[in-house]
Amino acid sequence: MSTTAVEVIYRGIFQRTMAKHITRGIVLAARKEGKVGIAFGRYGDSPERNGIPAKQFAIVAANDEELQGSIAKYEPTEVDVTIAVDDALCKGVESWAWYGLQPVNKLLKENGTLIVTSTKSAEELIPHIHKKDVAYNLAIIKGKASFSGLWVYKNDHTDMRMLGALPRVAPHLFGSPALEAAIREEWKDDLKVASAEKSFERVQIRKVKPDEGSPEIPFSFTMPGWKSMEEGLVVRAIPLGGHFEGYDGGYRPERNPYFKKFTTRTMRPVVDFAKCTKCTLCWLQCPDSCFDVTPDGYYDANMEACCGCGVCEAVCPVDKCVTMVNETQFEDNKSQWEMWTKDKNGYAGWLAKKIEHRPERSHGFHHRGQYEGEKIEQID
Amino acid sequence: MTAQANALEIQKLDAFKGVKKVTIEEYFTSGHRTCQGCESALVMKLMVKASGPRTIVLGSTGCMYVANTTYYTTPWVVPWMHTQLGSSGSAALGTAAGLKVLMRKGKMKKEPINVIAFCGDGGGVDMGLSAISATLMHPQYNLLILCYDNESYANTDIQVSGASPWGANTTFSPPGKKYRIMHTRWKKNVAGMLAAGHPGCRYVATVCASYALDMMNKVRKALSIGGPTFIHSFDPCPKGWDYDPMYSHELGELAIEAGIFPLYEVEDMKLKFYGKTKKIVEGRLKRKPVRDYLLRQGRFAHFTDEDTDYFQKKTDEMWEKWILPGVIPLRPEDGA
Repeated sequence: MSTTAVEVIYRGIFQRTMAKHITRGIVLAARKEGKVGIAFGRYGDSPERNGIPAKQFAIVAANDEELQGSIAKYEPTEVDVTIAVDDALCKGVESWAWYGLQPVNKLLKENGTLIVTSTKSAEELIPHIHKKDVAYNLAIIKGKASFSGLWVYKNDHTDMRMLGALPRVAPHLFGSPALEAAIREEWKDDLKVASAEKSFERVQIRKVKPDEGSPEIPFSFTMPGWKSMEEGLVVRAIPLGGHFEGYDGGYRPERNPYFKKFTTRTMRPVVDFAKCTKCTLCWLQCPDSCFDVTPDGYYDANMEACCGCGVCEAVCPVDKCVTMVNETQFEDNKSQWEMWTKDKNGYAGWLAKKIEHRPERSHGFHHRGQYEGEKIEQID
Repeated sequence: MTAQANALEIQKLDAFKGVKKVTIEEYFTSGHRTCQGCESALVMKLMVKASGPRTIVLGSTGCMYVANTTYYTTPWVVPWMHTQLGSSGSAALGTAAGLKVLMRKGKMKKEPINVIAFCGDGGGVDMGLSAISATLMHPQYNLLILCYDNESYANTDIQVSGASPWGANTTFSPPGKKYRIMHTRWKKNVAGMLAAGHPGCRYVATVCASYALDMMNKVRKALSIGGPTFIHSFDPCPKGWDYDPMYSHELGELAIEAGIFPLYEVEDMKLKFYGKTKKIVEGRLKRKPVRDYLLRQGRFAHFTDEDTDYFQKKTDEMWEKWILPGVIPLRPEDGA
């Protein structure tokens, strides 16, 4: 072993403090074993935006020279452990324009480990994760994704549970005694130590073979260098957009082709067109202009553009017309309106099933005392 | 106005009569890297929806520059150009003047083109205020300056600006154990100041995108009235205010209903309240307690009852003691 790299993929702002605790905890624990390390956020993610996938890294080495050799990098080219603190990230990561859809396991070394917090099983998650040509391990820590906001942190020990799994999946990083000493010293909380210990015992690890996973070829781009840019750094405007293909009416805006933003979604809206009164509010109030106006005057949330903020559900005046449901319940980004026009009864059945997966939202601060209630549930 | 004789023709933009009449086309489209539930991105979308395709947009540095146009891509359908943090006013004036000269010299087809410059509260309320003020003094140019106010320097991760509310948690004012309230200044009253002090400016309005139709119609009025105009938009920011992005719309409404941000327009120095604010002024609607608004946000999570009471007292003063409620804080000596 020369150096060991761990990346934490998380939801911008919502999980920033948690990611910091994880990467910091890794370095502090490694130091307890006489190693050296550094924790840092990826420069390009700053300024972070709510929900947009971001990364932080922890690099651990045996000595200063080895560490120096690995840190003068913007982003490591390969990692030993990838930690994804929201299972919706398994579908891929698109952090900014030109980045493309990057598989969650992209940087993972052969026989490295991907740790995910999820209430789902490995069999349910693997179909979402892109295939890799080498084998790796999938470790699952049972639990909901933990979201909070910029100022008030939900101290539900998810960070400690992630740390606790590391001595199991990557024993060369540090052992449990070092981690416990580091947690005790940094956070001065025995309950946190207990959370890490429990996670060490409970984490479920499964080998993922090279032929397992989603066969989708993720979209990618070639980023233009300054030589291919136009004089004056002119960026061509987006064309106006027009009718639905194959129809006389409707309107579908053209969209920025180089940043689709849909990996920001942890939940997606499903629309009950039978209830829709065509009031326009979802379409008008959507900050991402993700609603296409259909030829028959409905508003169809385009899943290549929707970032899952939930404003449409909040402004919709009709009960259960727009409902936000868990993103991991979906395999594709197909048009709901097309599905509905083809088979209205079939759509109603599909919709009823999807709406069952309507979780409590905890993206950011709602009211005082909210996090205290949720904390108990996660710690158990 | 004599200066108008000298001015170019203006686009005639009548108010949209109902949401069904709103332009279907998007001139600011998807693929911007803003937060989930970003109200300022919504303001951009509605602003150009209202102004239409023959519009040039200039944007000073801030979220709506950095997040929207990430590395050689754009969500803009209309022409857009970045300008420096403090220069939304100068950029608007220069562009309007440039268009005028090019058309006069026959180098461009003569047609009315809307010029809009936007700035955040950092760029407008703090840094660019002098340039905006100067621009509003030039009645012979048609332009609109729109300030999207999310109450902090949100792009660089939430530092205090002149528009940040009293007591808010920001990177520059984290509440501590010894000192709970680290930001002790009251929000700058920028729309009132600009409306009162610029005789050449025919139109100043405050808007909130939670009331999208009103907001768009104010933009249309500002663009078609002639001369330089100013709009102050109140934008809930899920990142800096720390709330669930799905409630952007609701928090905008709450701020108006609590009387924290009044909605009004000043046309040729005549003040007109509108929407919920009008009902509050006329006594037909009781202001909601500011508490309902404050305690929904993580940036005020450290507030004690004493703090919310103080916030309420200062808000009450706006309505009960100001010479023009919510607009001009001057008051006669004996009413102080």
